[in-house]
Amino acid sequence: MKLCQLLNRIAFAFLYLNILFFSTLVLGNNTINEELKEIAKKLRCMTCQNQTIYDSDADFSKDIKKIILQKLLKNQNEKEIIDFLVNRYGEYIVFEPQMNNRNIFLWLFPFIVCSLSFAYLYFRIKKNQSN
Amino acid sequence: MISLIGFSSLFLSLVSNLVVIITFKFSKTLTINKVFYSALYSGTFFIVLSFLSLVWAFISSDFSNFTVFQNSHSSKPLLYKITGTWGNHEGSMLLWLMIMCFCNMFFSFNKILEINLKKLTIFFQSLLFILFCLFVITTSNPFLVNSLNVNEGLGLNPILQDPALAIHPPVLYIGYIGYSLVLSLAIAGLILDKIDLLWIKATKTWALFCWSMLTGGIALGSYWAYYELGWGGWWFWDPVENLSLMPWIAGLALVHSLTIVHQEQLLKQWVVFLSILCFSLSIIGTFLIRSGILTSVHSFATDPSRGIFILILFLVITGFSFIIFILKSKESSGRLNLLFINKTSALIINNIVMLIACFTVLLGTIYPIIIEVLTDKRISVGAPYYNSVVLPILLPGFLLMSIAPALSWQTNKLNKAKYFFYTLVFVSIFSLFITYLTNFYIWGFIGTTLGLWIIAASLLSIFNNYKASNKISLHNNALFAHIGIGIVILGITFSSVFQIESNHSIKINETINIGKYSLKLNKIEIVEKSNYQELIGNFNLYKQGKLLSSIKPGQRYYHVPKTITTEAGIYHNWLQDFYLIINKQKENIWSIKMYQNPLVSFIWIGALFMIISGIIGMIKK
Amino acid sequence: MRKAILFLPLVIVITIGIFLSIFLLQGKDPNKPPSALLNKSLPNFKISNIYDGSQSISNQNLEKKFILINFFASWCAPCKAEHPLFFNLKKQYPNLFLLGVNYKDKRNNAIKFLNQDGDPYDYVGVDNEGSLGLEFGVFGLPETFLVNSEGKIIYKHLGPLTKKIISDEIVPIIK
Repeated sequence: MKLCQLLNRIAFAFLYLNILFFSTLVLGNNTINEELKEIAKKLRCMTCQNQTIYDSDADFSKDIKKIILQKLLKNQNEKEIIDFLVNRYGEYIVFEPQMNNRNIFLWLFPFIVCSLSFAYLYFRIKKNQSN
Repeated sequence: MISLIGFSSLFLSLVSNLVVIITFKFSKTLTINKVFYSALYSGTFFIVLSFLSLVWAFISSDFSNFTVFQNSHSSKPLLYKITGTWGNHEGSMLLWLMIMCFCNMFFSFNKILEINLKKLTIFFQSLLFILFCLFVITTSNPFLVNSLNVNEGLGLNPILQDPALAIHPPVLYIGYIGYSLVLSLAIAGLILDKIDLLWIKATKTWALFCWSMLTGGIALGSYWAYYELGWGGWWFWDPVENLSLMPWIAGLALVHSLTIVHQEQLLKQWVVFLSILCFSLSIIGTFLIRSGILTSVHSFATDPSRGIFILILFLVITGFSFIIFILKSKESSGRLNLLFINKTSALIINNIVMLIACFTVLLGTIYPIIIEVLTDKRISVGAPYYNSVVLPILLPGFLLMSIAPALSWQTNKLNKAKYFFYTLVFVSIFSLFITYLTNFYIWGFIGTTLGLWIIAASLLSIFNNYKASNKISLHNNALFAHIGIGIVILGITFSSVFQIESNHSIKINETINIGKYSLKLNKIEIVEKSNYQELIGNFNLYKQGKLLSSIKPGQRYYHVPKTITTEAGIYHNWLQDFYLIINKQKENIWSIKMYQNPLVSFIWIGALFMIISGIIGMIKK
Repeated sequence: MRKAILFLPLVIVITIGIFLSIFLLQGKDPNKPPSALLNKSLPNFKISNIYDGSQSISNQNLEKKFILINFFASWCAPCKAEHPLFFNLKKQYPNLFLLGVNYKDKRNNAIKFLNQDGDPYDYVGVDNEGSLGLEFGVFGLPETFLVNSEGKIIYKHLGPLTKKIISDEIVPIIK
């Protein structure tokens, strides 16, 4: 079996499995505690040396965790809670760079370089194979 | 007295290396040649003497030495007095210098390389040593005299008194700094136009050695973070972790590329570039951490003059190297045989993926600095960014690595392709089954499939090789390393996605059930140490009535400075780690948190596979 | 094209070098992030008087005033160190409204501290829960803010004030 054919079959197999997978996917509802954990893992403890609110024991982290919990109980979502904290503590408190004009380069540049590199490689292979 | 010996030896080492530099030009004559090599060996001797003097100063708690005063204490156990030598900026820089000299010396024992290439490499390595030695003498002298009259030291930070943390710097540094020799070899090869088979062999040996040590160093650091920081996390994308990761990734691309060059004598420019890149990443990493411009768990005491000096070193060394690269690198004749898909293309894809991943880590680490310079706003780039960007980029690499060793150089045919295909289908269905039974999370499926696929495909390749040649040769070591990565991927997937976290309340002498395990709180002990008081929960873990282990989580109350830390109690098992944390009590009921981390041990085991593979790669013919 | 690519590593090195040098020479403190509230309006708040709980002060009472807000506590040692400087500041600039906010403290301890070391503030408010501190992004004491007469927060300092900081940074703004 030629490698091209093999890889085609692999691709189809994966596609099939993914369809199978997603069709039976149970959409999980996170509990309040799980939500708290997810948000706390994205935030910086401002009085610690580069730890997340989730990982840190500091008083500041405990306070912020209380605030997050209060807001979750009031049915606020993650974006609202993070925006609330960013407005007061700055973008510095969030470990996930926010999607704005400043950070767009950071998020897109690696993928652009990757695509360009693979595109270039593709053309070189084609050129080589046609020779 | 000891400090005097230490400093004099340091200075004499500098002088010896200067002699190496000076005599290089005239070393065609026999006598000067002898001086050249003697200076190299004496330089190494003196730096070792200097380092041992510092160690002795720590052991004897000589607080007239300022570094010892700041970082040691007479009540520290002997082991930690010794390891405390490199647990601070000045001492670790002395270790840095010593490793540079050792690399130079061991390299000089090479019998195969052409003489001029060898001597020019030694020349450049000595030059690097001189630059860093000047840095140490002017900004980071470990032998400064303590002007205060004291009889006790300041260094009693218990976090640093830990076996993993003690051995992690030397192991890491041997790899991290060893790349300096790879750089020297590359520059020397460029200048003399001697990037040939012998150069490739020498570089390959050193590159594999450095990479293996770096793997070990990073694994030790991660292991320490796992049981000491946070709640069972072992990788936080902290700047200092990123800075050790970058040379590791670049080094990995280098050892992979060296196999193409070995085979096809092409892409020499690329290999030379990577050789320069690895140590450049080490230097900029050192700068970022020691200048104190990044917040990190691992920050050293900061001093702007140190930052400026290392930045200048970075620009000079890296700038010079890349200028030589522009001026002197020659395009290879011949054409790359790129097919879809043969081994050459697979290795190119590997290089693309690794370099972009490495660059992304660098970008993420320095992006806050760039943004603050441009807009005066401070942002943070942490785990959410790296996990979302670096992991997807690595994905093609992981998929391909399973079959890449079995690919052919010349054709795009894969031997026994249908067996690989069947393996993939089986593995996917098996993973689907597992994820369906547990918590059905997409990353669980992807991770399990990838890990099992890499391991299974590699085993299949080993089996095919065995059938073809009737023995299991050492040339399978690449497959062995890939199996290591597969194991690590399984470990990472299972310990994160399939982790079980549970909160409980327990009284003394009570036994609670957690799944098929039960936990009993025997007693609460209060222990007094010289720097802290610890409240320890003495627990027993049982499985279906049988005692597995005792687990002792605790809370420490330090006197100076007044802090409280939580110490997790861990029971390590090959298949699962039990990670127990004790919180607070209310009316004699203790609240505890338990994490069951499946297959965490696989992360360390996989790293061990990689290290062994690297060493085999070095010694096989 | 080939030759041009060879220049890329050098260009990247120089670019990174430039950014790092600028940052290093600016001498920023990694532990002191710039405030998110700079050039934003004073947040709405109302806090009660530390001496008389029935009285309170709100941002509306402070309109058209140039304000220095100082978050402090009796358990905070650096706060004690910077405390004497406020007396001089008030003497030199009587039009400057000094608002002290007692943050996460016990009323009795704070009053004892103010009695012992003196009270330079025009008003001392109470923020036991830290909710006002939260609005200002306070995370470590002491923190000092300057609000101009248009109600915009124009300066923040993290950590204790010193004579030098006052003369170099605060005085130019107040003028």
